[in-house]
Amino acid sequence: MDSAPALSMRDVVFRYLEQGKRNILDHVDLDIPAGRVTVLMGAGGCGKSTLAAVAAGLYPENGGFLAGGQIRWFGTDLAAMDPQQRARQVGMLFQNPDLQFCMDTLRGEMRFCMENLCLDAAAMDPRIEAAAAELGVQALLDRPLHTLSGGEKQRAALACLYVMECRCLLLDECFANLDRDAARALMEMLRRMHREGRTIIAIDHQPALWLDTADEFILLREGGRVAARGLHRGNLPQHRALFAELGLFYPDPPPPYAPKAETGAAILRFEDVSIAQGEEKQKRGLFRRAAAPAPLLLDRAQAQFPKGAMTAVLGPSGCGKTTTFLAVLRRHAWAGRITLDGADLAGIRRRELYRQVGIVFQNPANQFITQNVTEEVMASLRVWQPGWPEEACRAEAERRLEEYGLSRYRRYSPYMLSQGQQRRLAVLSVLCGGQKLLLLDEPTYGQDARSVHAIMAQLRGKVDAGGLSVIFITHDRALAAAWADKIYWLRGQKLEPARAGEAL
Amino acid sequence: MKPFLEQWNPTVKAATVLVCVILLSVQYLVSLNLAVFGLCVALLLAGSRCGLRRLAALLLPAGMAALGLFFMGLYYARGGAADTAALDTVSALPYAVRAAMSRNLYTALQLATRLLAYAGLGMLFALSTSGEFFIASLLHQCHLPPRFAYGILAAFHLMPGMVREFRQVRLAFAVRGLHVHALSLKPIFTMLVNSVRWSESVAMAMESKGFCGDAPRSYYTVPRVRAYDLAASAAAVGGLVLGMLFLRY
Repeated sequence: MDSAPALSMRDVVFRYLEQGKRNILDHVDLDIPAGRVTVLMGAGGCGKSTLAAVAAGLYPENGGFLAGGQIRWFGTDLAAMDPQQRARQVGMLFQNPDLQFCMDTLRGEMRFCMENLCLDAAAMDPRIEAAAAELGVQALLDRPLHTLSGGEKQRAALACLYVMECRCLLLDECFANLDRDAARALMEMLRRMHREGRTIIAIDHQPALWLDTADEFILLREGGRVAARGLHRGNLPQHRALFAELGLFYPDPPPPYAPKAETGAAILRFEDVSIAQGEEKQKRGLFRRAAAPAPLLLDRAQAQFPKGAMTAVLGPSGCGKTTTFLAVLRRHAWAGRITLDGADLAGIRRRELYRQVGIVFQNPANQFITQNVTEEVMASLRVWQPGWPEEACRAEAERRLEEYGLSRYRRYSPYMLSQGQQRRLAVLSVLCGGQKLLLLDEPTYGQDARSVHAIMAQLRGKVDAGGLSVIFITHDRALAAAWADKIYWLRGQKLEPARAGEAL
Repeated sequence: MKPFLEQWNPTVKAATVLVCVILLSVQYLVSLNLAVFGLCVALLLAGSRCGLRRLAALLLPAGMAALGLFFMGLYYARGGAADTAALDTVSALPYAVRAAMSRNLYTALQLATRLLAYAGLGMLFALSTSGEFFIASLLHQCHLPPRFAYGILAAFHLMPGMVREFRQVRLAFAVRGLHVHALSLKPIFTMLVNSVRWSESVAMAMESKGFCGDAPRSYYTVPRVRAYDLAASAAAVGGLVLGMLFLRY
């Protein structure tokens, strides 16, 4: 082992615009020892993802301005390395599993990686086979990458870094949208690579996942500066106050689940509902074979989502949670009977349905229809409150923005907001028609404790004030336990209510 | 072992198809057009993995276009209605039959079969060439810069994800009470924003895997131009020229 730290940053200053005043990285000094597992934590917008991209040499090459400082990897100056040399030192795993591949299969991608490093063609196949056997990803090698699940994609991307033999793995929230089993499988691969002597630097919101693995937690504050370091499993409780101050998740065991007494009324009721996997419409054209019967996601499931409450639907990725939502929006076929507030869903016209049911997707940026925050809310008001004069719309929009704590951004483009703010804006504009049911798809995606809390507390208040019911789907058991009045498991093609006191 | 059409070097194949198209555009032989079309279909069925079903699905629009061109040529060639001289002599027959008897019939056949021949050549290339092999061949035979080549590949492989995302954007808009139809521009704007973000992310991921536009790199497979490829091209172009010389109609 050489004595140089894996990563050393000295007085690094980085901002997005050369003339800009705000430094995203503000005189960062950081040393991360080689051969260890280090987890960097910080609130959203504190610059930790930027820190990773700057450390990996992706910025300023792909944007931004490095005003000063020096970065060394294992003693070698980053500025002196080209991408090829950098890749031998550090490989990066990104948050969005869909956006890290160039080729169509893992085998092709691994070849692409080794070609980048100028490896001999004859050496490639044995290396791929050995890596796949070592990491247990043989089954993924030849499947088209776009058909893999998020967890499988992350494992595939990690296998690419393995085959390149990078000395250090830099993980930028790579667990962000993985369910527990997928996260465990990925973590197992990481541990194996760590045992082989690789350094791991991870950026993450959720310390719970890392408790057994991490040698050190480093907490970052605004500007990417170190707030505290040397934290580990043993001394974590001493820093509890700092976690709260920085708005970070503290790895508490989730509170026991205590269902609220049901009043009896249901906003949404499933009776013998079956839903099959597959596309929105089964196309059966002249030249297409008749589709084989698709596997069932729900099989004669029963459920009752209480009115005026928050209900969580838990289940691993790909078990059909989102598809069930699509059925509720009449965008996916179902058999059986779904009733919305007592009325048969099949008899409600879509336009009328959307006046009652709103949805906010994983990626809220996909539902913005204008380029201005106030306009965004006004556009919804115009749709749902036809006949309102322009002035009333504007006043109402500003009142709502105020209520959601977004009024200082009213002149911004929605795309400039942070993920958490985008989600709040999406919720706010979706509820403009006085919808009585809100569906939320993975509300925690890519957010820190503070913004998750902000949005859930906001909804809690709305629900308690009456008139709104919320159903959210998530794989995050702690979130469900903390906020839901009722929890359903989607498993074995059924919706089963979680029992009181059940360990989540 | 790949079927022979799929092994044919894509760059050579593309050049051959292009030359054939240019040659076809300077002749007016119905028989040659039909022969080219028939040969293309036969070669595709025998020498590639594209199924009859897929072929038929593509031939249907081409066939309809050819039919349309045929009737257009039949009735409206030579500056207006069918050849009046031919029509006056046998005025007892229905208009369609009279039109068919005129010289316009041959013109119409020329137009329609030529379209079929073009369609056949286009399919011959498109259905027997994998995108990846074509790009690899362009890299080595045409010296396409790697930055460009791998950029195209990455974008190509993003397509399924984009289709999925696009569907979701449209749904999100519909739930917000907007009318979205097939040609709405708003979802396209959102996709444009997404694409910019995605292309940045993919580019960064590629760079972090050591990809660099100008650095030397090794290649797992290097497509080469072999005697087989050139012989196939020579046969195709030679056959076409012979057809042009010796066929009469």
